[in-house]
Amino acid sequence: MDLIYSKVSLKSGLEIHQQLDTGKLFSRTPSLLRSDFPHYEIKRKLHKIAGETGEIDAAVQHEASLDKEFIYQGYNDTISLVELDESPPQEIDRQALDEALKIALLLNCEIYPVSQIMRKTVIDGSNTSGFQRTVLIAHSGSMDCSFGKVPIETVILEEDAARIVEKKENQTIYRLDRLGIPLVEIATSPVLDTPDKIKEAALKLGEILRACKVKRGIGTIRQDLNISIKGHNRVEIKGFQDPKLMIKTIDLEIVRQQEELKKGKIKGGVRNVLDDASTEFLRPIPGKARMYPETDLLLLKISRDHINKIKKNLPKLKHEIRDELKKKGLSDELINLVLDGNLDEFEILMRVYDKDANLIAKMITLWRQDLAAKNKKTLEEVKNILNENILESILEKVASKEISESDVRSIMIKIYQKVPLDEALKIDKQSDDQLEEKIRNIIKENPGLRPNAYMGLMISKLGKDVDKRKAMEILKRIVNIK
Amino acid sequence: MAELNFNSGDYVKLRLALEEREGILLESQDSSIILLKLESGYNIGIPKENILDAKLINKFKEEKKETKIINTEGKPSIGLIITGGTIASKLDPKTGGVKPLTEVSEFLKFYPEILDITNIKKIDVPFMIASESMTSEHWIKIAETAEKMLDDPEIKGIIITHGTDFLAYTASALAFMIKDLNKPIVLTYSQKSVDRASSDAQLNLQCAARMALSDCAEVMIVGHASINDDFCFALPATKTRKLHSSRRDAFKAVNDTPIAKIWPEKIEFLKTHNVRNNKKPILDKSFSDKVALIKFYPGQTPDILDFYALKYKGVVIEASGLGHLPVSESGNSWIPTIKKHIKNGFVICAAAQTIFGRLDPLVYSNGRELLDAGVIFLEDMLAETALVKLSYVLGHYGWKIKVNEKMLENIAGELKTNLTLDSQ
Repeated sequence: MDLIYSKVSLKSGLEIHQQLDTGKLFSRTPSLLRSDFPHYEIKRKLHKIAGETGEIDAAVQHEASLDKEFIYQGYNDTISLVELDESPPQEIDRQALDEALKIALLLNCEIYPVSQIMRKTVIDGSNTSGFQRTVLIAHSGSMDCSFGKVPIETVILEEDAARIVEKKENQTIYRLDRLGIPLVEIATSPVLDTPDKIKEAALKLGEILRACKVKRGIGTIRQDLNISIKGHNRVEIKGFQDPKLMIKTIDLEIVRQQEELKKGKIKGGVRNVLDDASTEFLRPIPGKARMYPETDLLLLKISRDHINKIKKNLPKLKHEIRDELKKKGLSDELINLVLDGNLDEFEILMRVYDKDANLIAKMITLWRQDLAAKNKKTLEEVKNILNENILESILEKVASKEISESDVRSIMIKIYQKVPLDEALKIDKQSDDQLEEKIRNIIKENPGLRPNAYMGLMISKLGKDVDKRKAMEILKRIVNIK
Repeated sequence: MAELNFNSGDYVKLRLALEEREGILLESQDSSIILLKLESGYNIGIPKENILDAKLINKFKEEKKETKIINTEGKPSIGLIITGGTIASKLDPKTGGVKPLTEVSEFLKFYPEILDITNIKKIDVPFMIASESMTSEHWIKIAETAEKMLDDPEIKGIIITHGTDFLAYTASALAFMIKDLNKPIVLTYSQKSVDRASSDAQLNLQCAARMALSDCAEVMIVGHASINDDFCFALPATKTRKLHSSRRDAFKAVNDTPIAKIWPEKIEFLKTHNVRNNKKPILDKSFSDKVALIKFYPGQTPDILDFYALKYKGVVIEASGLGHLPVSESGNSWIPTIKKHIKNGFVICAAAQTIFGRLDPLVYSNGRELLDAGVIFLEDMLAETALVKLSYVLGHYGWKIKVNEKMLENIAGELKTNLTLDSQ
């Protein structure tokens, strides 16, 4: 198949739009999507307007429909006059800007020291103002993939649009809750020449984004693909985010472009992915006549100092964390469990006792889950009892060798059963001594056996309930001493 | 740093320490930074000191596009007076800022809708300024421009476009100045500049045109009735105030109701009005600039009046509640100072600080003392309208002995006998 892709000179680049998990970009309202009944509706129209250069952009012309009416649904407590286009924008959200800068730096981009917030004309009604505010943040980055470096052309910070509730012939109903949520747009160079490379690059970008403060879930990431084969103009495919449809969409688009070439048509355009992976025409590709400055805001300046400050606190990527955890000796299963929301606790506890990452990983994941399952409680309830402070106290005793690693699990069980912490920690020391005594006796009675053989003996003599892990630990210590 | 001898609009190539950048050069408000429009349409800034070398690729050529007024036969004509403000501004691509229109013809290019139902017989631009720069001289100039159109029988009505901030003052001034008005004079505006597809100007102008052709011979302010783009209100000139800094429906009638509801295709009148007629309008255009508007606040001392009395002929004081200022019971009584200046011919009027509602000096002894001292209580007159009226009245030498009577005479609808619930 790769051969075919090279034969048609497939050229493609990704454009990813990711919502940030911060407040709105140009108003101080929360980025909150709502499903409750809207508090009010307003009615608006949009007009065809000429761009900065006096010409009307092709995409704008296509969207222009003077008789269309737009209804916007809003909420008194979470929609402000900015979203209603009744008040000038407020200053750019600092947290959103910092997250965009983080993403740009993780992609090894150059940050523009001065940039201007622009208005991109959009008159399909999805923006009450008739434009989307957008600002170029960075350029000339790169991302490492297994097949080499993928150049990153631009990182842009912009406002998300209002979402469609209902579309009728001459009226579209939008909800304003999504309007103004910060979006980071990342565009790669058109260097991806096989579907596998496109897919890998998309997954890699997703990983980088998730290391930052981004929204999760359906609709929070939207992916477009710029694609062309030799002789055909660029086609932008929107809604290209379902990994299952990616390769099929690409193949179908190549066939479509080939067909068009046969008919002598090479016109590019914006297309939308349908459920069967085919695409439909949406509108012509927008040009620069669509952009003009946001006159209500000052130039955006980003100082060297600020960039350096952000550079110092860049988040680690998931694969980097994974590699580190692997080096510490964790199994893949435990790594997954730790990465599933337990990383902070893991790192804090590792600072108390750094000799056994496996022990700590099990304490915060498997063992607590096990207790929850056995006692028919939620994990949250178990976590409330066996919280970070309690686990820290246990590990301090391990670190000072007052208890052994093999005691930790039974101490956790006792604490869960409401045995006071001090008591839980003391009692075990005693039983530990008794166990050691018994094992010494077994070795004394049966000298010269291999460790496995001793283990068998211990189980038969001390019963099935013996803490095997602890017994093995003691055994090894005694045998080694010998 | 390289010497930059280019003009904005030129296509240039700039060499920086590590890279080259191409684009269209734009002026920036920050003199240490040049703005560059990239191929993508985005503008970025480059500190001038970072530019090592610069090369001109393409010189900017201004293309003059004349737009002619295309009138179609059979449609009634109106006259248009453009005075500045957001409605007559456009984006300047070279600076990225919003600037006044330079060509009259541009106005119709931006607002073709106005020609849907009317022909424009005459466009006059007496001046192009923001409304905060206006003086009574400008009110007079607008009235003189309008007078010619009022006398032209082919012109059915007049639209005046104006900045919003002091639009209501101009409307009041025109209402006081023009006697025996024979056709509609409609002032309109926009709060959002025309470069935005969401500009409020289109609906306002469509409705203004509709109103200018109506039989309502009044001075009116026409603009969005709500934040919906569906219909406008025609508001009475002397009873309207800008009550919001940015909303489309910034103008509201105060102590009064709208004259009409206007859609682009029809008008619904909400009350009786002066009808179109064949009288010859008379312009009475004398104003005095020696008037001031003062807002009373707690702790304010009466010596503020000593200051004004030196150079001014009269003041409107925005008094509290039903019309109160500190009187004899207060350690800070205004009464002696007020009496002293009124005795010397200085005029002191009171209007409501509360914006809505009518003054009444008789409810508290406080008000009665002020009334006795000679303060003119302006009932339900808006403070801004009161200022314009005081300026108008004091501009007439012959009215010197009857200032009190003139201020309380209902000249242009500025006083209303009954306040009803719908007028708040």
